[in-house]
Amino acid sequence: MTASGDHDGTTVSVGGRARRNNCLIGVGGITLALTMIGLTYGAAPFYSAFCRATGYEGTPQRVTANTDAEGHRILRVGFDANVAPGLDWSFEPESESVRLRTGKTVTVFFRARNLTDRPTEARATFNVTPEVSGEYFDKIACFCFTTQHLGPHESAEWPVVFFLDPALENDISMARVDSITLSYTLFAPPSEKPAPGRSADRAGPAG
Amino acid sequence: MRVRFNAIRAGLAALLASLIAPKAGAAMFGGPEPGGIGFLPASGQIATDMFWFHNAILLPVTIGISLLVLGLIVYIVWRFHETANPVPSRRTHNGLLEFTWTVLPALTLVVIAVPSFRLLAEQLIIPAPDLTVKVIASQWHWNYGYPKSVGGFSFDSLYVEDKDLKPGQPRVITADNPMVVPIGKVIEVDVTSQDVIHSFSVPSFGVKIDAIPGRLNKSWFKAEHEGIFYGQCSNICGIDHAFMPINIRVVSQSDYEAWLVQAKKQFAVSDRVDVAATRLVHP
Amino acid sequence: MASVTDFSHHDVEAHHAHELPTGWRRFLFSTNHKDIGTLYLVFAICAGLIGTVFSIVIRAELMEPGLHVFPVISAVMSGDGSIDAAKNMYNVFFSSHALIMIFFMVMPAMMGGFGNWMVPLLIGAPDMAFPRLNNLSFWLLAASFALLMCSLFAEGSPGMHGFGGGWVLYPPFSSVIGTPGPAADFVILSMHLAGASSIIGSINFIATILNMRAPGMTMFRMPLFAWSVLITAFLLLLALPVLAGALTMLLTDRNFHTTFFEPAGGGDPILFQHLFWFFGHPEVYILIIPGFGIVSQVVATFSKKPIFGYVGMVYAMLAIAFLGFAVWAHHMFTTGMSLNAQRYFVFATMVIAVPTGVKVFSWLATMWGGSISLRPPMLWAIGFVFVFTVGGVTGVVLANAAIDRYLHDTYYVVAHFHYVMSLGAVFSIFAGFYYWFPKMTGYLYDERLAKWHFWVSFVGINLTFFPQHFLGFQGMPRRVVDYTEAYAFWNMVSSIGAYISGAGTLIFLYLIYEAFKAKRHAPDNPWGPGATTLEWKVPSPAPFHTWESPPQIFGDEDVHAPAIAGHGSAA
Repeated sequence: MTASGDHDGTTVSVGGRARRNNCLIGVGGITLALTMIGLTYGAAPFYSAFCRATGYEGTPQRVTANTDAEGHRILRVGFDANVAPGLDWSFEPESESVRLRTGKTVTVFFRARNLTDRPTEARATFNVTPEVSGEYFDKIACFCFTTQHLGPHESAEWPVVFFLDPALENDISMARVDSITLSYTLFAPPSEKPAPGRSADRAGPAG
Repeated sequence: MRVRFNAIRAGLAALLASLIAPKAGAAMFGGPEPGGIGFLPASGQIATDMFWFHNAILLPVTIGISLLVLGLIVYIVWRFHETANPVPSRRTHNGLLEFTWTVLPALTLVVIAVPSFRLLAEQLIIPAPDLTVKVIASQWHWNYGYPKSVGGFSFDSLYVEDKDLKPGQPRVITADNPMVVPIGKVIEVDVTSQDVIHSFSVPSFGVKIDAIPGRLNKSWFKAEHEGIFYGQCSNICGIDHAFMPINIRVVSQSDYEAWLVQAKKQFAVSDRVDVAATRLVHP
Repeated sequence: MASVTDFSHHDVEAHHAHELPTGWRRFLFSTNHKDIGTLYLVFAICAGLIGTVFSIVIRAELMEPGLHVFPVISAVMSGDGSIDAAKNMYNVFFSSHALIMIFFMVMPAMMGGFGNWMVPLLIGAPDMAFPRLNNLSFWLLAASFALLMCSLFAEGSPGMHGFGGGWVLYPPFSSVIGTPGPAADFVILSMHLAGASSIIGSINFIATILNMRAPGMTMFRMPLFAWSVLITAFLLLLALPVLAGALTMLLTDRNFHTTFFEPAGGGDPILFQHLFWFFGHPEVYILIIPGFGIVSQVVATFSKKPIFGYVGMVYAMLAIAFLGFAVWAHHMFTTGMSLNAQRYFVFATMVIAVPTGVKVFSWLATMWGGSISLRPPMLWAIGFVFVFTVGGVTGVVLANAAIDRYLHDTYYVVAHFHYVMSLGAVFSIFAGFYYWFPKMTGYLYDERLAKWHFWVSFVGINLTFFPQHFLGFQGMPRRVVDYTEAYAFWNMVSSIGAYISGAGTLIFLYLIYEAFKAKRHAPDNPWGPGATTLEWKVPSPAPFHTWESPPQIFGDEDVHAPAIAGHGSAA
């Protein structure tokens, strides 16, 4: 016999084995919920790591050196550059595109210029399209690996050294891909957030 | 200085409009019709195939299943109403029936999946482009950038308010400077955003791709009709989400080249080189 | 799985009628599953009315091109009647409408309301496993709703009130770039509390159903509503924490300079979408699976036949629940996903149609050969089978990414989910309401009024949403306050449908009032020989305490319709 132990006599409570089993399920449930929250937080670094490792969603690979094995196919690689609001720099690729045999290493340059009177930092985000080519887009050196600094009105030419892995020739998903685009967006570091989206400095449509 | 520049822009825009007015009888209106119930007019293989897939395969399946269930309900309620059937059966199993209604839907789904997957490949594998247009979304308009090889200019495509509409221009979905592209060529759109997520959509071409900050997304189309084609921003982005139209004017190759000449003059910003790859700095 | 727990040697304490608390204390501190169920149902009705008013105002705006209604609404709610404030308020209204209907109407009605009221009765348990946590769950939800209401009056976008980024809260719009003001934080915190409420509630249901069934009530003798609540509880337990994590990351991005979803700091807005929809897709099954359970019980009762293919129905619900975790990115086909990823999600999403079809055909097979009585609960249940099929098949259309590319973010999607929610889930809730109202209140309602409610609503809601398929085909995007003239005709038809549905709701409210006024006493079982589950063995209204000594269940294994020896209702 177990007493309910609470002052509100109308509360139903069970004792003994039923109570113990309830508590077990209760603890198990809470543990499961907390585990799922933990996995959710873990998803953030896992997602980055997964994308980097597999090239998923157009994430290029980062490698230390080329194997020097050349392939047969020639693909076009285009370059795209963007500057996020809040960063007053200009930023463009030296050439719009190159034609490249797989396995051959190439260096391209991006020109950046700080248009302000203050020294500024920027970091680049990047992706390649089509997404499936991320796995085969191998970067040996890239300004996107680190934060970049430019003094007032300073400009710089940043190299990107990369090659296309010849293994892409054996992937049927890459069979009809002729053209890959590498895109960068330069952002000011997070502490210098851009002003929130201007709410209609145009008049906006009348009703 | 700015006022004069705007006046020049307006004048050139009017000149442009008269230069690229659609040829009589040949222009397609790629937008909604009053009371319309079906897809917008299709231009190009992607849209044509997409609409065929829906109308020839998906629609019969959906209507068929809905009518089947409705028909069965009507029959059952009539035949097995308590007045017509006072003694209910106790039957709760029928192996053959259960097998059939599991396997038949599965087979139907396989039949649907075959063209579905083929269409996906057609949409997502981009052929070698004849023209690449950089599309930059921001709150609340689109900016179109043309490559250096054709002039390296970019321009904003702004919402046209009711009072500024010309006769025949539909309200809410008209933009001032449309994207102009040549007919029958593979046009690749490279899409990104300056602020929040937007989405670039042109239903008549079967194009919809999100504009995401820090990321470049691609899509493509090959228009097979001259005309004007409409789309709207397709991801909630703030108060003017409904007022960010996309207009694409498809013209003949010669009209496109004539437009390029005008556009280079109208939209070039003189103090900047290689504009196509960078964003316009808004004053 | 769990062994049948023999209550006979354990202490179940309950005191008799003269010690029952009364008045507001009875409900504020209640640990009784019936009273808490009543609290949830009243809450769901009130929130549902607010959500319905929001939707009627939205349809009033969309009835004609141009902005007519929201400048007034905005002036009233925020003191700013300008066009920009009106456009913002519209966005706030559709965002809040969705959150209210999902978290404060459907879920509380089905799980908190019918789940709490009926599950212990159905399985022969005296109450829920954790009666005090049950109380906490309810009041957390009330607090959550209060926070959402607060968000409407807090600053969101600069100079504007409320959060207008849709119930999905995608960054960067929901982060500081799009919504610098605290309205978004209020919404996030509201969702945290709602999530906590449901997580606690689901632990409660799982423990109760696994552990407190009466002797002889094996898992495969349980009524299907109890199964549906159990499965939904597991879905909630697995999915809601993911929402909580994603929302917390958004909260810290907004307030503590983290950058989970900000590209400037190496984050990715698409990660939020993955996390959100990993919760969001199971969420839509959470919203419908209890409805499946209700419909199964109602169809069986009014066909005077046991449900066809009981075991298949259980496995179908399990399959839907399990598969529901594997399909989330079909909400993201236009984000720039690779071909192979899209192929996988198309395939997986279509697979769910198979167990869903099994259920629809099983309901029809239950009715086949039965002796059908078209009482009000049955009207709603039969209506459900049809309208859910229509909504389901448009879902199969959308599952195909190749066509979703056209239809995504258009009114076709709005039509699809309102068919399965506003017609599906809501019909099943009304089926449950009309089925269990006599048991809960002890009163009979006027069946003629109930039938009027059904038919007016059926016509009205169909008229509201069917034309929206056409608008989607014609390219009308969703979440827009205004549209080009070509869309005017079907928008007008849809809005008229909304007004008719509103009239149906008024009939519903009057019916409740009339039933309480007329006080026609209901018997233990108003529904006849088809009502074989345990709740019909206790008086109407069900006494404060039931099954204090559990019933002993015997069953005909073939038929899964348990018979009982010995009754267990309290004095």
